[in-house]
Amino acid sequence: MRPFKANGWHLLLLVICLALILPVLFMVANSFKTLQDSYHTMWQLIPLHPTLKNYQTLSRQVALLRLIWNTFFMATLVTLGKLSTGLLAAYAFQYFHFRGKKWVYFAFVATIFIPFTVTMIPNYLVIAKANLLNTALGVALPQLCDATGIMIFLKAMAKIPRSLIESAYLDQIPTHRLLMNIIIPILRPSIISIGAIFFINSWNEYVWPTLILKDKSSFTLPLALQNYISSEGGTNFPLAMALATIMIIVPLVIYMVFQRYILNSISNSGLK
Amino acid sequence: MNSNKQQHRVLTLLYLAPTALILLVFIIIPIIYTLYLSFFDWNLIAPTKNFVGWRNYLTIFTDPVNQKVLLNTLGYIGLLLVLNFVIPYVISIIVQFFIHKMQGVYKIIFFIPSLFSLVVGAMVFAWIMNPVSGPIALFLRQIGFTLPNWTNSGGLAIVMLCLITNWKVFGYNFVLLLTGLGSIPQNLIDAAQVDHIPKWRLIWDVVLPLNKSMAFYVLILTIVQGLQYVFTPINVITQGGPYYGSSNVLYHTYLNAFVLYKTGNASALAILTFVIFLILLFLEIKFVEGRDADAPI
Repeated sequence: MRPFKANGWHLLLLVICLALILPVLFMVANSFKTLQDSYHTMWQLIPLHPTLKNYQTLSRQVALLRLIWNTFFMATLVTLGKLSTGLLAAYAFQYFHFRGKKWVYFAFVATIFIPFTVTMIPNYLVIAKANLLNTALGVALPQLCDATGIMIFLKAMAKIPRSLIESAYLDQIPTHRLLMNIIIPILRPSIISIGAIFFINSWNEYVWPTLILKDKSSFTLPLALQNYISSEGGTNFPLAMALATIMIIVPLVIYMVFQRYILNSISNSGLK
Repeated sequence: MNSNKQQHRVLTLLYLAPTALILLVFIIIPIIYTLYLSFFDWNLIAPTKNFVGWRNYLTIFTDPVNQKVLLNTLGYIGLLLVLNFVIPYVISIIVQFFIHKMQGVYKIIFFIPSLFSLVVGAMVFAWIMNPVSGPIALFLRQIGFTLPNWTNSGGLAIVMLCLITNWKVFGYNFVLLLTGLGSIPQNLIDAAQVDHIPKWRLIWDVVLPLNKSMAFYVLILTIVQGLQYVFTPINVITQGGPYYGSSNVLYHTYLNAFVLYKTGNASALAILTFVIFLILLFLEIKFVEGRDADAPI
C-alpha cells in the first residue's frame, strides 16, 4: 500500500516539474526551427531540421554583443554596489554601538515592503535631472543598497566567534583591515550566494529599466526581448525565443555552478 | 578613551553612510515627495503644479476606472494567494512528509524558473496560450474544443497573468516553505508517529501551527511581491486591457504617471498602495519578527 501511495505523490510532483520546465524546453527547441517548422511541428522537442537562422537574423537586427554587454555591465554594477554597501552596513550593525540602532535597522528591513510605484516618479525625475537617462548608472544608482543582503550578512557575522573580533581589537587592528582580511574571507559563502542572486535578479530586471532606458543602444536583454514581442516580433515567436534562449544562459550557468549556495541563501533569507 | 569614542562614532557613520545615503535619497525623500505630489494636479513636465487638496484621493474611489482597477487588484490578490501560497504550501508538505526520496531533486528543479526573467515567461506563455495559433489552442481544436480568447476578457487575462507569475515564483516560495517545515523539531514528528496519530492530524495539529510564522511571511511576500511581479506580464502582454480589465493598482499607477501624465492621480494611487503594504508590514512584524531568540540585533 505504502509504496503505491508514494508513487502517486511522485507522479504529481513529476507533473509539476514538467509544467515548470517544458515551457523552457519548448522555447529552446523552437528557437532552432524556422517559422514554418515551428508552426507545423511545435510539439517537436528535437527540431527535425535544426537551423541557426533565427540567431543569424537576430544578430543582423540587433547589436547582440552590445545588448549582452549592457546587461552584464548594469548587473555587475548593481551587484558590486549592493554587496559593498551591505557588507559595510552589516559590519556597523554587528560591531558598532549607536543610538537608534534598532530603528535604523527597522527602516532598512522595511524597504522590502515598499512598492516601486511610490518611489518611481521622484526617482525618475532625479535621474533625468542628473542627465543619467539611458545609462547603466541611472538604472543602478537607486538600487545600490539592499536589505536582504544586510540581513544575510548580519546572520553570517553573528556566527563569527566573538573572541576572534575581540582579539583583533586588542591587537589594534583597524576596522577596515579587520573587515577586509578577516570578516570578508569568513563570509565568502554568503557573499557568493547573495552576489549570485543579486546578479541574476539584476540581469532579469525589467520595470525600472523600461523607465530609464529609452534609447535602443542602451537597452538590456529584457527590454530588447519585450520589443520583439510587442512590435517587430508580434507573431515571429522563433525569433523572440532565440533571444530569450540567449538571455537564460547566464542565469542557468550561475545556478549550475552555485546551486547549493543559492538555495541555502534563499532558505536563510526567509528565516530571519 | 574619549578620542577612541569619537573615532568609534566617526567609523559608525562612515560604514553606514553609503546605505543611509541611498536610502534617504532614493527611498525616503521620494516617498515624501510622492505624498506631496498626491495633493497636486500636474503632468510631470509643466513648470507649475495646481494644489487640489484631497481630490486625487477622492478620484481613486469615485472614478469607475479606478474602482475597476481596485476590484481587479483584489482579484489578483485572491488568485496569487491560491497559486503562489496555498499550492506551494501543499506541495512542500507533500515533499517534506509524504515522500522519502528525491526531495533535493524536486527542490533544484522547481527553483529553475525563478532564475528567468518574467519577460521570458510572458513571451513563452503568450505563445503556448495563443488563442489562435498556440499549441494548446491547436490541440484543443483537434479534440473539438476551442480555447477562449483570453486577451478579450479581463477575468481570463488576470488568470493567465497570475499563472505566468506562478511559473516564476512557485519554486522560490516552495523553497522558503520547505525550509520552514524542515526546521520543525524531528522528535515532535517521531513522537506523533509512535502514538499512531494519523498523518493529516499531525499536519493539522502540529506542523501547521509550528510553521505559522514562516507561512505568514510567505503569505505576505506573495501579496507584496506578487502584485509587483505581475506588472511585467501585464505590460508585455495586455497593457492592462481589455479596457483596464487586467490592470492592477501598480500598473494603473505606472499608466497614470508615464503614459497619461496624470502625476497627481498616480501619486495618490502609489500612496494608497504604500499604506496597504505598510499595514502588511505591521502584521508581518507582529506575527513573524521576534520569533527568533537570536534575532540579529
